[in-house]
Amino acid sequence: MPTADVEDHEDVWVFVEEHDGDVAPVSWELLGEARSLADALDEDLVALVVGHDVEDVAQEAIQRGADRVLAADDPVFEPYRADPYGEQCRALVESREPSVVLIGGTHTGRDFAGRVAVPVHAGLTADCTELDVDEDGHLAARRPAFGGNVLATIKCEDHRPQMATVRAGVFEAADPDPGREGEVEFVDAVVDEADTVTEVIERDVGETVDITDADRIVAAGGGTDGDIDPVVELADALDAELAASRKAVDEGWVSHDRQVGQTGKTVRPDLYVAVGVSGAVQHIEGMNDSDVVVAVNNDPNAPIFDHADYGIVGDLFEVCPELTDLLEGVEDPQEALA
Amino acid sequence: MTDEWTVVVGVKQVPDEDDVSINPDTGTLDRADADAILNRPDRNALEAALQLKDAVGARVVAMTMGPPMASPVLETAVAMGCDDGVLVTDRAFGGSDTWPTSLALAETAAYLDADVVVCGEETTDSSTGQVPPGIAAHNDWAQLTYVEDLEARPAENRVVARRDVEGGHERVAADLPVVVAVAYGENDPRTAGLHRKLYAENEFEPVELTADDLDIDEDAVGLAASPTQVGGMKTVSPVEREREVVDDPDELAAALAEEGVV
Repeated sequence: MPTADVEDHEDVWVFVEEHDGDVAPVSWELLGEARSLADALDEDLVALVVGHDVEDVAQEAIQRGADRVLAADDPVFEPYRADPYGEQCRALVESREPSVVLIGGTHTGRDFAGRVAVPVHAGLTADCTELDVDEDGHLAARRPAFGGNVLATIKCEDHRPQMATVRAGVFEAADPDPGREGEVEFVDAVVDEADTVTEVIERDVGETVDITDADRIVAAGGGTDGDIDPVVELADALDAELAASRKAVDEGWVSHDRQVGQTGKTVRPDLYVAVGVSGAVQHIEGMNDSDVVVAVNNDPNAPIFDHADYGIVGDLFEVCPELTDLLEGVEDPQEALA
Repeated sequence: MTDEWTVVVGVKQVPDEDDVSINPDTGTLDRADADAILNRPDRNALEAALQLKDAVGARVVAMTMGPPMASPVLETAVAMGCDDGVLVTDRAFGGSDTWPTSLALAETAAYLDADVVVCGEETTDSSTGQVPPGIAAHNDWAQLTYVEDLEARPAENRVVARRDVEGGHERVAADLPVVVAVAYGENDPRTAGLHRKLYAENEFEPVELTADDLDIDEDAVGLAASPTQVGGMKTVSPVEREREVVDDPDELAAALAEEGVV
């Protein structure tokens, strides 16, 4: 197979995901992290903005660290669809030859990334949590391997660009600097509406919860046996978001958008309370970055206790209401309990 | 294209993640005794494909790529109601990352004259979710990922899907052929009927397709055609937890107040 002429490729690109002018937070997180990669490589940091009426987004990308912006601004790009986004980004990557392309690991990012990587035969690493440049100038993208505390380093030495989708909430976004200057280049749309193979019939956002932003989370597991009321009440008392293990979602007790773990979301709250959650590897992976972890389970040998700061061995149907009473309506529980 | 749709379902054999545990002291994985099972999200894909068959009539064929020992997942698919199963198997495919894997599956889908390809959201052993869009990209077909509900529109030669997007949902129509990745857990996979199960176990033999059958150049697949390499593993120190068992909710509430998290 022909491999890319690695030397011909330069610059670090970050895809800036916007929907109707709202930018996905992971895009700014990536721009902050990619700044240091571009500096380490002594290359430009380029923001790739695709959408319609994206002038403001392009300017904000400069303020948040991009040296240059490539903006594809056309009605065909709003709302998002995989085929026009993929085709536009493929065309730009083929003609401009970046060294690195980073994309937020949202449903949108994970949807279209392959439509760029496949036709250009680029290496695409999924869901990275660490990014580095190795001594040879290659991107070292690290991602959790099959649960647990093992990170695999993925490299792509003979193909360009080196592409990766990156998990949300891992890196810090840089604050905008209004004085920062950079060049915004508007590029021609290479996609015509007549050539698209999909049509968005309706789009309804703002209706589902995003537990990845929550400061406190109370999760229901299989131990609830379908009666999640005590868990919901505890969550209310703590002003926390309700979450769930895979078991509770599979059984239909809690909706999938609240699932924590490998096939659900990764969360990093200040407080994570696992109620009736056994503590399977896939669940631990999704909540192990929480600050303080509490486990309530009637099985003293449940693995969750190994991954918790505080545990209560007991019947959740007794423990949860008691805890709810203790915490409910207390404006400043810290003081009340002191 | 004939009147009846051909629906191809991509399935994979994976180690049972429920048999894998983390040693809390070393952070290493213990997966030695894990059984080989059908990737759980693929059950949702099979159910979505069989619902298309129920709704508009379709020939549903399961495909998997791997060595012959991976074929029990095809038996499971046939027992659930698939009409046939294809094992895509060749030494040339060994060491493939998602790029050649999706190439081989894309060629298989084209070989089978697929109108709709249905996959699970991701596999639980590698969780990249890259193969369904990869199949679509290799064949330049439409794609719909994170699909919660799928409706056949044979008169329009399209499908309409409800997709889960950040913060909400959207309904998207896609022209055939299309690759669909079903959101994990979004339907109730049917159980296999006894009769079908006996057929799958005793009579069903998967069709085997090699690189040659699919007209795939051996240099276009396998390790050499994989752009990514694993450049090492590093064990992250396990997160230090207090692992303190308290006696009652009062004590717990006090501890949480001490931590400053309530």
